[in-house]
Amino acid sequence: MKRIQSHKGVVGTIVVNSEGIPIKTTMDNTTTVQYAGLISQLSDKARSVVRDLDPTNDLTFLRIRSRKHEIMVAPDKEFILIVIQNPTE
Amino acid sequence: MADRKAELERKKAKLQALREEKERRRIEKAQKDAEEVAIRAVSSEKDQRKELDQMLSSLGVAPVSDVLSSLSSLSSLTPEQSANGTPDSSLQLHTAPPAASNKRRASQLSVVSVQSTNIPPREMVTYAKQTQTVSSGHERDGSSSSSSPLKGYFEDWWRPRKDEYNLNPGLEWEDEFTVLTYDDTSQAEDEESSLPHLDGFQSKLPPGILPHGLPQVKEVQPALTSLENAPPKQEPAKQVRELSEEEKQMTILTEEFQRFLDRAGRLMERAVSESVDIYTDYTGVADGDEAGDEKSGLRLSLNRCFYDDRWSRNRCLTSLDWSPQYPELLVASYHNNEDSPNDPDGVCLIWNTKFKKTTPEYIFHCQSPVLAATFARFHPNLVLGGTYSGQIVLWDNRVQKRTPIQRTPLSTSAHTHPVYCLSVVGTQNAHNLISVSTDGRLCSWSLDMLSQPQETLELQHKQGKPIAVTCLAFPHGDVNNFIVGSEEGSVYTACRHGSKAGVTETYEGHQGPVTGISAHSVQGAIDFSHLFLTSSFDWTVKLWSVKENRPLYSFEDNGDYVYDVAWSPVHPALFATVDGTGRLDLWDLNQDTEVPTASALVEGAPALNRVSWTPSGLHVTVGDDMGKIWVYDVGEQLSQPRIDDWSKFVYTLQELKNNQADEEIDKLNLSSSGPSSLGNLASLSPNPLR
Repeated sequence: MKRIQSHKGVVGTIVVNSEGIPIKTTMDNTTTVQYAGLISQLSDKARSVVRDLDPTNDLTFLRIRSRKHEIMVAPDKEFILIVIQNPTE
Repeated sequence: MADRKAELERKKAKLQALREEKERRRIEKAQKDAEEVAIRAVSSEKDQRKELDQMLSSLGVAPVSDVLSSLSSLSSLTPEQSANGTPDSSLQLHTAPPAASNKRRASQLSVVSVQSTNIPPREMVTYAKQTQTVSSGHERDGSSSSSSPLKGYFEDWWRPRKDEYNLNPGLEWEDEFTVLTYDDTSQAEDEESSLPHLDGFQSKLPPGILPHGLPQVKEVQPALTSLENAPPKQEPAKQVRELSEEEKQMTILTEEFQRFLDRAGRLMERAVSESVDIYTDYTGVADGDEAGDEKSGLRLSLNRCFYDDRWSRNRCLTSLDWSPQYPELLVASYHNNEDSPNDPDGVCLIWNTKFKKTTPEYIFHCQSPVLAATFARFHPNLVLGGTYSGQIVLWDNRVQKRTPIQRTPLSTSAHTHPVYCLSVVGTQNAHNLISVSTDGRLCSWSLDMLSQPQETLELQHKQGKPIAVTCLAFPHGDVNNFIVGSEEGSVYTACRHGSKAGVTETYEGHQGPVTGISAHSVQGAIDFSHLFLTSSFDWTVKLWSVKENRPLYSFEDNGDYVYDVAWSPVHPALFATVDGTGRLDLWDLNQDTEVPTASALVEGAPALNRVSWTPSGLHVTVGDDMGKIWVYDVGEQLSQPRIDDWSKFVYTLQELKNNQADEEIDKLNLSSSGPSSLGNLASLSPNPLR
C-alpha cells in the first residue's frame, strides 16, 4: 500500500470491503466515502455484466480513464482496491 | 331499532376513544421523528411530512378522522383487521366523518397495541404501488436529495426508497386499492422513522433486484413476513453507516485481507507503473521513432537499475539467476549489510524485468548471508539459496512467508563451510540440486528431502588436500562432468558418478583465486561445449578447452580483479566480464581478441561482482557491491549472431592456437611480446613449473 502510494502520479489509494465501506484510505474522508460508494457499485455492475455475458467468467480488473485521472480498480471476493492516479507522469 | 342505535352509539364512542388515542400516539411519534430528523439533520423529511399533511388537509379531511370514519363504516371489522390495512378507501373518501359523540370512554385503550402492528402491512402497500407509475416520483426526488447532507453516498440509497414512497400519492387508486390518505401519512412517518433500516436493506440488494422487478410478489406478501424482515434490516444498516476503528483494524488483521492486499497490491503496482501511452497519435509528429533508432545504434546502453533501499542497500550482490519458466524473473542474492545488524544477514530478491515497477516482486531472507541463489529449475515456485553457514535454504513464493520454508541441517553429513555454488541439474523427472562448499564437499540433494544429501563427494587434490571451491559450472547438457574454480587459482574438472568419481583434470594458469567460471552453452552447427572461461583476481580472463590443460588464450585488458565472466546464451563468440573498477566489457572474439568490443563504465564505479545475461541474450545484468543491479541493453548487431559466426569462431580459435604456438617460441627466446607484458608473464610463469 505504501509502495503504491509512493509511486509518482498516484493520488490516492482506498481499500473497500464488499459492502462499500472504506477500510483503509490515504485520502480525506469525504472523497473516500464518495469513491467507495460509487466505485463499489460500479464494480458490482461491471462484474454482473461480465458474469452475464459468460457465467464462467469473472471481473478481475477495471480501469477507468478520464481526462483528469485514471481510476484503477482491483476487485476481489471480499475487498476492492481502488487507486486513483494522474496519467500525466 | 333502538338497540341498534344504541349499539351504533357505543361503537362510535369506542372509535372516538380509539381515534383520540391514535392522535396522541401520532403526536408522540411525530415528536420522536422530529428529534430523529433533527439528529440526522435531514430537513427534507420534515418538508415531506409537511407536504403530506398539506395534501391531506387539501382533501378536506383530517387524517385521523378519515381512518375512523372508514372504521366506523365497517362496523363489523375488528380492530386487527383494520390494522391489516384493508380499510376501504373508496368509502373513506365518500362518507363524511360523523363527529362521534364520545360519551363512553370505555377501557378499550388496550387496542393501542393494534397500532403497532399496523406499520408493516402499510409498507407492503408502498412496495406494491411503486411499479405502476414512474414520473411522479422524480420531482420530489430532486428536492430531497439536494437537501440531503451526505450527498453521493447517501443519495443513492435514498433514491429507490424515495421513488417508492413518492409514488404512493401519485397513484390514484382509490377504487383499485384500499389506500387511505391517512395511511400515506403514517406510512411516511413509518418510513422516515425506519429510514436507516431501509437504507441498509436496500443498499445490500444487488442493483438488479431493487424493487422494480418484484412488486407483485410484495403486494401479496402477508403482514407477518414484513415484520420478520424488519429486524434483520436493522443490523446491516448500522454496519453500513459506520465501521469503528476497531472493526477496521480487525478486518485489516484478517488473513483474508492480507492475502487480498498482497495479491491486489502486486497487480496494482504493475498497473500503476505501466506507463504506455495508449493515446499515442501517429498521425501527429512522430518524434519517438528517431530516439528509438538512436538507441538501437548503441552497442551497450543502460536500461534500468534494480535497487531497494530497505533490502539491498550496502549489500554486496552475490549471485544472479533467471527463472526458466518466467524469463523475466531474476533472482538476486545479497550478502549482509554491516550498517544494519538488526536486519537479516541474507537477502534474496526476485526482480521483474517485464514491468517497470521499481520494487522487487518477492523478498526472501534468512539468518546467514546468501552466497548463491537459484531457481529450482522444475519447480517454478521454489527458490534455493546457499548460505555462508553451509545451510541450503528453500523459499516458496506461494506461502506468505519471507523466511525459508525448508533448510538443510548443519551437520557433518552435509555442508559445514560456506556454499558458494549451487546448481540444479537433470531432467524434469530426475534432477538433483548440486551444492559445493569451500571445504571441497559436493552434495547432491533431492528437492523432496533436504534433511540429508543423497550423495556426497569430496573434491580433493591429488595429495588429498581439499579444494576450496569458489565457482562451479556444468557444461551444456552435461549432468555428470563439471568444472570448478578454486581459491588457489587452479581449475578442475570432475565427475559425479563412475569409478573415478571426483577430480579428473587440473588446469593451472591463474595466479589468484578463480572468481567466475562459465561454460560455453550456445547450441549451434558446431559444438563448442568443451570451451569454458574463467575470471580471476590476477586481472585476467582465460579461455580454456577441457581437452587441453593450458589456457587457449588469456584476456588481459583489465586493470583490477576480474570478478565474473559469462558467455552469451545466444552468440557463440560473445561473452561479458566485470571487474572491480566498475567496468563491464563485452568481447566478441570474432571481431577482436585484444580489446573488448564494447564496454561501459557503471555509474559511480562500484566494484562489479556478478554478471549475467538474460535468456534472450539481449540484455546483460551486472550486480555491484553496493546492492544495485544494472541492466544494460546490448545492441542488436552485437548480441544477435549471424549464421557464419560459428564457422568464424572456429577460425578464431585456430588463430588463437597459432598465436599460442608463436608465443611458445617467443617464450623460448625469452622475449615477451605483446602490449601487456605483465599479464603475459603472469600467464606464462606457471608453465615452467609443469
